[in-house]
Amino acid sequence: MAVKTVGHGHDHATAHGHAHADGIKRPHIHDETIYQETRDMRLLGFVLFLLSDVVLFSAFIFAYLYLRGTVDQWPPIVDGHQLPRLDVNLAAANSIVLFGSGVTMHYALESWKHGARKQFDVWILATIVLGIAFLGGQAYEYTHAPIGWATSIFGASFFTLTGMHGFHVFAGVVFLTILFFQTKRGVYDETHYFGLTAGTLYWHFVDVIWVALFYLFYLF
Amino acid sequence: MLFPSAPLMIAAFIGSFVVGIPASIALKNDWKSTGLDNTTTKLLLGLMIFGCILVLLASLHIVGPKGEA
Repeated sequence: MAVKTVGHGHDHATAHGHAHADGIKRPHIHDETIYQETRDMRLLGFVLFLLSDVVLFSAFIFAYLYLRGTVDQWPPIVDGHQLPRLDVNLAAANSIVLFGSGVTMHYALESWKHGARKQFDVWILATIVLGIAFLGGQAYEYTHAPIGWATSIFGASFFTLTGMHGFHVFAGVVFLTILFFQTKRGVYDETHYFGLTAGTLYWHFVDVIWVALFYLFYLF
Repeated sequence: MLFPSAPLMIAAFIGSFVVGIPASIALKNDWKSTGLDNTTTKLLLGLMIFGCILVLLASLHIVGPKGEA
């Protein structure tokens, strides 16, 4: 079988999976059709993973809604005093930070598709910084929250759900950081970048979960 | 109240446009794209734009708790 160049340019994988000039040995790709088919399967698997995460969050959200329905007043009354509502102002500003990171990640992927490597670097680093900023805002809110973990079902639900989401954001920041360094090592090119697609989908997913949590805990 | 509310709400109000408009443009540009990844991206982008609208309405106190600005 003749050596078949996949994609274009000097740093693309070859049919025999040779080590490249940059020293990176990429997976063997014997046939572009097989590559595309496995990409579709990997993509489907990743989307199913996201759907399983939706189920996880949904279970906790419906548990929260159920518990909320068991009391007459919300926020609930503890020791004769009604708990205060959470600060919507800080949450709104922090939400925009997270949503902004979703936009920067979207443009990072678009830049990569169009071969604009420097723009990609700027956008993905902006995404990572905004993700860390969101976590900082959430940490600040935790330390100043008027409710505690164990004081009521309100606090327990709030810290469980937002904590679980915060862990997802943290995992996303780690994910994107790894992707950034992978791009520097030449793991992806303009036609083979499944990791970047998965990273972008994951980050959008984390944004969308926050939309639901923002409404449930601060506006509802 | 953790922070002074006015600067945060102004930031949220302005930010909802700064983020929502590029997100809407991205959604418009991707609107005709097909495939599972693009379709999922469009769905998630749309929901994120909805989130921006929620933040905008919250910053104007149209939704959310009343009388706490």
